[in-house]
Amino acid sequence: MKTKTLDENLHLESIEQPGSGSKLLALLSFFALIFAAIPFFYLIKGAFSGELDLIKTVLLREKSLEIFATTIALMSCVSVVSTLLGVSLAWCLHNVNLRSNSLLAALVILPIAIPSYVYTYSWMSIIPNLQGFAAAVFILILTTTPYITLAALAALRRSDRAQLEVAQTLGLNKWRSFYFITWPQIRNTVSAGTLLVALYVLSDFGAVSLLGVDTFTRAIENLYRGSFDRGAAAILALVLVAISAILITIESNTRQRSKVISTSSKLMPSIAESNSGRSRFLASLLIGLYLIFALITPLLQLLLRFISALPSIDYGNLFRTALSTIFASLLGSIIALLLALPVGLLSSQASRIGSLTDKSLLIVHALPGIVMGLSLVAIGSELPIVYQTVALLAFSYALLFMAKAVGFVRTSFLRVPKNLMEISSTLNQSKAQSIRRVMIPLATPGLLTATLLVFLSAMKELPATLMLRPTGFETLATEMWSATAILQFNEAAPYALLLVLIAAIPAFLINRPDKSEESGVNIS
Amino acid sequence: MTSLEINDLSVDLNSRRVLKNLNLQIPSGSFAAILGPSGCGKTTLLRSIAGLITPSGGAIRFGKQLVSVSSLVLPPHKRNIGYVPQEGGLFPHLSVAENVSFSLARKISDQEKNQIVNEMLELVGMKGFNDRSPQELSGGQQTRIALARALAMKPAMVLLDEPFAALDQALRVDISEEVVALLKKSGTTSIMVTHDREDALVSADVIALMHGGTVVQSGTPAQVYLNPISAEVALSTGDIDVIPAIKLANSQYSTALNEVNFNLANQPAANLGQILIRPEEIAISDEVTAGAVTAKITKINYYGHDALFELKVGQSLQSIRARITGPSQYRVGDTVSISHNGPIRWISSEAQELNL
Amino acid sequence: MGDATVPRAPFRKNLAATVIAILLGATLSGCASSDQEQSLTIYSGRSESFIAPFFKEFTAQSGIELKIRYGDSSALAAQILEEGENSPADLFISQDAGSLGAVSVSGLFSQLESSLLDRVETKFRSSNNDWVGLTGRARVFAYAPDRVSKLPTSYQSLIENQYKGKVGIAPTNASFQAFVTTLIQYQGLAAAEIWLQKMVENDVKLYEKNSQIVSAIDSGAIDLGLVNHYYLWEVSESLNRQINVQNGFFEAGDLGNLINISGAAILNQSTNKSAASELIKYLLSDSAQLNFVADTHEHSVVLVDARPEGLPSFAEIKAPAVDLSRLSDISQTQKLLIKLGLI
Repeated sequence: MKTKTLDENLHLESIEQPGSGSKLLALLSFFALIFAAIPFFYLIKGAFSGELDLIKTVLLREKSLEIFATTIALMSCVSVVSTLLGVSLAWCLHNVNLRSNSLLAALVILPIAIPSYVYTYSWMSIIPNLQGFAAAVFILILTTTPYITLAALAALRRSDRAQLEVAQTLGLNKWRSFYFITWPQIRNTVSAGTLLVALYVLSDFGAVSLLGVDTFTRAIENLYRGSFDRGAAAILALVLVAISAILITIESNTRQRSKVISTSSKLMPSIAESNSGRSRFLASLLIGLYLIFALITPLLQLLLRFISALPSIDYGNLFRTALSTIFASLLGSIIALLLALPVGLLSSQASRIGSLTDKSLLIVHALPGIVMGLSLVAIGSELPIVYQTVALLAFSYALLFMAKAVGFVRTSFLRVPKNLMEISSTLNQSKAQSIRRVMIPLATPGLLTATLLVFLSAMKELPATLMLRPTGFETLATEMWSATAILQFNEAAPYALLLVLIAAIPAFLINRPDKSEESGVNIS
Repeated sequence: MTSLEINDLSVDLNSRRVLKNLNLQIPSGSFAAILGPSGCGKTTLLRSIAGLITPSGGAIRFGKQLVSVSSLVLPPHKRNIGYVPQEGGLFPHLSVAENVSFSLARKISDQEKNQIVNEMLELVGMKGFNDRSPQELSGGQQTRIALARALAMKPAMVLLDEPFAALDQALRVDISEEVVALLKKSGTTSIMVTHDREDALVSADVIALMHGGTVVQSGTPAQVYLNPISAEVALSTGDIDVIPAIKLANSQYSTALNEVNFNLANQPAANLGQILIRPEEIAISDEVTAGAVTAKITKINYYGHDALFELKVGQSLQSIRARITGPSQYRVGDTVSISHNGPIRWISSEAQELNL
Repeated sequence: MGDATVPRAPFRKNLAATVIAILLGATLSGCASSDQEQSLTIYSGRSESFIAPFFKEFTAQSGIELKIRYGDSSALAAQILEEGENSPADLFISQDAGSLGAVSVSGLFSQLESSLLDRVETKFRSSNNDWVGLTGRARVFAYAPDRVSKLPTSYQSLIENQYKGKVGIAPTNASFQAFVTTLIQYQGLAAAEIWLQKMVENDVKLYEKNSQIVSAIDSGAIDLGLVNHYYLWEVSESLNRQINVQNGFFEAGDLGNLINISGAAILNQSTNKSAASELIKYLLSDSAQLNFVADTHEHSVVLVDARPEGLPSFAEIKAPAVDLSRLSDISQTQKLLIKLGLI
């Protein structure tokens, strides 16, 4: 940094050198990335230590091609359908006056609180022989649509009504005005949601194992547990990593091209406009059907089983388990936020390092939980002080879900109007002070959403929890799992039900439209 | 009270040279307006003064203090300048009082802060608004609070970026008058960027006219209005008409406004050229004496306080305009005599510069 | 959100620091506060509802506190292998010999006292004395009595047309792998591969757990499955009703009649080896063994003539004699299953 001392002792700076602040940020982001890379180091180590022969067998057998095809097909079907469904639901909720739009919106998002294995068990109770690819597509659509709906709804709320109204006066009908005007504005947010969905499908184990669909994750899990040679499993996991890297790259490339900035600086509130009887009927039908399949049926199932289990419920254990779950998940979400802050901040300042980190973190999303679990066992057991403590468990939640948090953190910071930061600097505030006093408070609603999302995901997490929890420490998910493992579905129900009820709270909070969306520049 | 001196400033944005070799002097305590068409670089200039942009060359001084030299800069938070942006720019998460006291140092006691806040609010005529939230305020109120916020830190200079642009016409005049009066009273050097020439002419002690990334002329409003150095400058500050002129003999020129004798310090060398006139310099009369220049009224634009007449002069059918105050009895189609009462501003046909 | 004046800032910082300290302490205490002297950490592949009563009884009798981590035997084995010498486990109880063997080969188990080993025959314990069987499970075929009229006489029968698409197996399950290992040991790799291949061609259905197979028979998805005998009771008790499934045995001497064992081992780095031995001693005691026979319907490795309800005794089953702790064979089995796409 060049300085020039003047008679008044004020130093001029050369702005070419990054200030110490952004160096600190880069360092912190780097650490966050290293932590997130733990499973990769584990996989690479495992891949090298494996037996070459077995690796060849695994990669070159016919089954591997089958697994590859099944996985890609599953991922594509689910992504496409859930995107269509999610966007349609969001559109209906935003544009069609259904009398209680905000309540319906909250209900439509609520299924985010239900883990995929709970869906599977509920629907298997209704259709006993539920098995196979189509069943998995069905269940995974139910599980993942809420993410798209959430993203699409948020994007619609930010979109520019003025353009839409002009389009309609020019004679464009609803479909065309959606396609030409609305879609370009919401596209980037929705595609980020679709990417998350695709990566989730890659990593899901619960549904596919119960429904007997051979995806990568299931094969990996089987290899880890069915054989004691870790090499082959690691190789498959690395293939999964490669697939997700490709997906992430595709998504970010299609994203660059459409950067739409809304022209009106004042956004009108989302009053649903369409009041025609036909629209209302169709919208109600769509939402109603969706709620029946995605919310009402599983909840009813759980409730029925819960009632059968009533006489034998151990309320003490239920309560304790719930507290443990909340504690570990909350801690995990706070750690996730702390790790995500430097990365999100850096990434929002259009720094190359930042956006690279951002994208690399997403790859973690596609990893099966067992990989995350074993890698942390490998490292964690070297540190007896933290091994099998709630601290490590919380930390593993943070690593698992940091990617989700970073995305939200980044967009929260991006939505803080740039001019406010400039104004703050003219008001005697250094960069750090401006960040602390202006950027963070304004980004807080988004940061809160990020935390809630991690909290929600941590509560539902299973495979890593099973391995990393302190002995004797159970979460609602693990209790549910051990009951269902021995087919005690009724006994599992209270835990499952409580899990859904508690997870519903963050789900509900995430969906509230926040004030900061009502002002400032809109960047897709 | 600080003066501003800018020497040879150049600024590049997106590999385009937005400001070129810009020079500007604003005496301390004066209210300066930077006037120019969109895209001329005035906002860039303001942001460079504020320190929000790093120049590629040149120097900026506040008083004797160098704040920018080539690409070495003093960061904005050390410059002690106030900045009032186009649309208020109030922090939405803070109350009015918190906004105003934002720049005040932590070491100051709450009591003192409150005092300053109240002082400032009273100054801008928004007493009692302490606990309101910025979203509740109208555009004009927001601008006033932004000003209070900027003044609260007793800045060396206040920079205003088209502060009245977003306001209704009716409000604009009142508020701009208030704000300008306030700033002048406080003796703070103020620099306002505007594209509205009326704003500039009314408020400023000094007007700097920008065109193509540089300051082409600066001076008092009268100077700049009456003695523009080029047609562009003239156009920036008011309406103009341009009339061809032919040299007849030394000191004798013929224009559509009849022969003109004028003495210029530098006699134009060319035989052909143009004369630049302001509409208010043309008088019309319904008495058509022999030998008078006549014109036919082709259009009347009535503004209430005056009217702008469009006329076609004599045989040449040269179009000129005349600004006439007071109620007028003229109708479109009338023939009137016209006369020119004002300085002769000569533009040579090669260059656009004016010789006076 | 404005500036804090001087008095307020330290308070806020102190509060935050205190909260963090409490949280940190609470979370780290997950491990540290455990009472090391008289408490055993057990990794149990046997599920809680079936083995917890035994553990409770043991604690009541001996006063030794138990911290039990329940899970899947092979997942726990994988975890122990990953943890290595840093594993907090004192004792590993597994549902199958394969998991025990895998950990044994890594040298993580310690030698058991001869008083424990002598309680059981050599075929029910490891050849290098580092694990011992606790209970025996007979391999059977479970079937739906109303849908299967002609019972298979041998495991070979299952490749016949009449059973096409109607048989279930659990290839990732260690008991099944033990069976395949037996095939390889007795009939050679080629023969085993042929049988498996033919099963695949006969549209065999794959499941992850034995309990799922039994459940599937009950619901009608399949008619027959290769499982361990006691799942009949386990599933029935879990569902709290009678199920439409019965156990059947192949002809005496058939390789399909393999006896598996559940067993226990003590980890090398344990500091509570004596307490761990106490527990194993308890589980091998006559009273506990009788309870296994009565409550969980398993065979006793100590009281070999005891017959669980509705089942023949060990002698009557005429199981093939197989050394289950030969891991090299198990890994060969796994490779075969992987190659054929069953894993």
